[in-house]
Amino acid sequence: MVTVKLFGTLRIDSGVKCFQAEAGSVRDLYPLVLREIYAHDPGSSVTGKALQSCLVAVNGKQVSPRAKLRDGDEVYLFPAVAGG
Amino acid sequence: MTNYGGYMGRVVLLDLSTKKVSNYVWTDLDREKYIGGKAMASKILYDNLTGKESPFGEDNLIVIATGPLTGTGAPSSNRFDISSLSPLTGITSSSNCGGNFGYYLKRAGIDALIIKGKCGSPTWIEIDNGSFLFHDAAVVWGLKASESQAAVQKLLNDSHGKAVRCGIATIGPAGENLVRYASVISGERAAGRAGMGAVFGSKNLKAIAAMGDQTPKIFDPERSAAHRKKWVNYIRSHPLTGSQLPKLGTAGLVSTMQVRGLLSTRNYAKGQFEGFEAVSGEALTEEQLVSNNGCLSCPIRCTRMVKVDGKKVKGPELETLGLLGGNIENRDLDLICRWNYELDELGMDTISAAGTLAWAMEANEKGLWDNGLRFGQVDKLSQVFDDIAHRRGIGNELAEGSKRLSEKYGGADFAIQSKGMELAAYEPRRAVGQGLGYAVANRGGCHLNGGYLVVLEGLGMNVNGQTPRGKADLCMVMQDIMEAISLGGQCLFTSYGIVPGFMVDKPNSLLAKTVNAVVPCLGPAVRVINKVPEIACFNLPLIPYPYELNYTVGMKMNIGKFIRTGERSYNVERAVNARFGVSAANDKLPKRLTDVPQDPNNPKTRVPLEQMKRTYYRARGWEKNGLPGEKKLRRLGIKSW
Ligand code: SF4
Repeated sequence: MVTVKLFGTLRIDSGVKCFQAEAGSVRDLYPLVLREIYAHDPGSSVTGKALQSCLVAVNGKQVSPRAKLRDGDEVYLFPAVAGG
Repeated sequence: MTNYGGYMGRVVLLDLSTKKVSNYVWTDLDREKYIGGKAMASKILYDNLTGKESPFGEDNLIVIATGPLTGTGAPSSNRFDISSLSPLTGITSSSNCGGNFGYYLKRAGIDALIIKGKCGSPTWIEIDNGSFLFHDAAVVWGLKASESQAAVQKLLNDSHGKAVRCGIATIGPAGENLVRYASVISGERAAGRAGMGAVFGSKNLKAIAAMGDQTPKIFDPERSAAHRKKWVNYIRSHPLTGSQLPKLGTAGLVSTMQVRGLLSTRNYAKGQFEGFEAVSGEALTEEQLVSNNGCLSCPIRCTRMVKVDGKKVKGPELETLGLLGGNIENRDLDLICRWNYELDELGMDTISAAGTLAWAMEANEKGLWDNGLRFGQVDKLSQVFDDIAHRRGIGNELAEGSKRLSEKYGGADFAIQSKGMELAAYEPRRAVGQGLGYAVANRGGCHLNGGYLVVLEGLGMNVNGQTPRGKADLCMVMQDIMEAISLGGQCLFTSYGIVPGFMVDKPNSLLAKTVNAVVPCLGPAVRVINKVPEIACFNLPLIPYPYELNYTVGMKMNIGKFIRTGERSYNVERAVNARFGVSAANDKLPKRLTDVPQDPNNPKTRVPLEQMKRTYYRARGWEKNGLPGEKKLRRLGIKSW
């Protein structure tokens, strides 16, 4: 079981902050994230492509979407942003 | 007088000692070379300061300058600039503000105001359609920023017998008490950095109110309107200016910075804060946001309105969240919103106040200065800020800033400042180009004046933040472009539109990855364009600013000339600071950032400053001492310092 946290406009637009999922890799997570978002908001405009463009971090460190996941990992998904 | 659109054609010299008001000669040739804003101010300071003046001396000047686009309705263009010899850094500095004072200064028929001398007693000034009235400020002296503005507004309403529409710039108690990082406040917006409020205070100047019914003429109204329509549409459709900033404000960066190791934590000992979520932009939006707000004529509206004690007030920006969050190990967002409000009301820069505080916490921990301040102990900080503004107890010392304190108590290695100015919340050891920018920035440790390379190094694009390759050239060109953008009066956030949307929307695409890989190799090309900007004698839709200056002002502007104007501005600012002793030796960072790797297992996670500095000076065409030589200045049409 891993904990998934959404950040940035992805979280503000979808209304999903955090959920638990069972997944072996970051890629395996994408459909689960989409399912969670649509369960929360069936009319959401978030697409699988948008998810794949997100930056991913596992336990605070940035990783590639191919990264494997282990039980207890914390996964962050966030769109690349700017504006300081 | 001017033949150009956008300008009012009048620059006023105001002597507070004699109350004499005169016109300062500023020709159309000056306008072509310096446009307005901080470049105009730097040139005026260059022509009038000899290097012998002191920040609190009567001979120090304050220049309040607008841009030709201010008040014309161009998108996000109502900003104004305050420049002076800074009490924090001892060199000239500038501070940019989004409040409505600049707009109303132009309505009063004035492009810029040069203030010298000192009032005999606390005074506020009324500028009504170009005439000046001096009022006793006894009733407003001591008031906080919003109280002062309300009191001045009431006095104006009473004396005019009607509700007066005006713009007010005021100081709070911090400026009156000469806190070295006191700000000037207009509306809810601050000219925060570099202690411009303390210079006001030293001149017994509490506030200036401007009003009038004059409007700048637009050179080509039809083309200007058509261009703006396109530009506003573009701003609204771009992922950063149309979505990210309106939805999350600058605060939206906290989480990204956390993951990239860029979030200042525990006085910059670390780049990640365990409790970041509690003080992130997402938390601010979900828990505190009441509504969005924006500066005049801004389609982005990035300001977060929050509630403090039931009152709707401006919320904290990213820099404040970072520095009053992880940097002092605080996880309480309510408190940050409160402090942000209190600091604005007291008229104090949140960045320098927070940076000085973090240094003091560490100095206490290390036994250098017994001041009772500790990381994570945050319940009494409202009182500390009030004490700083009124120079009571340890507040009196904290009011001096981290550089002076570290000179007194030791601890310079962890005083996170450059040229005396505290750094913003971007930890540069994983964005070394940003580190270079902090060090060489003319006004001191400023993220924006430093070129804001962190936007390429992880907060928009994904250029390798650890490599020094190409960073010197990129730093120079970014500084020049940002400088040029601000001269018209425009907000720097409009420049995010220059980052192609696909770099933000699709950072994992092959194209985005290729661009990110290639950018550090662009150094030589950037240098050629910078040496001969005339080859860029064209305009591109991605860079809308020259078009705006063409249509609204009537200047024949192209990308090359535009960059050259930014470069001239940067060089004249450097030249005036040279008179006050600035050279390469001042372009430095604390040892914590240059000598101590952020990750003990990765020696690359530090800022290789000296190496980048040498390349930077070469790229700028400066001498080894970090200053523009006579030949360089002549090429830019600036007489030697
Ligand atoms: S983007 Fe934000 S800071 Fe800039 S002008 Fe608009 S509201 Fe003001």
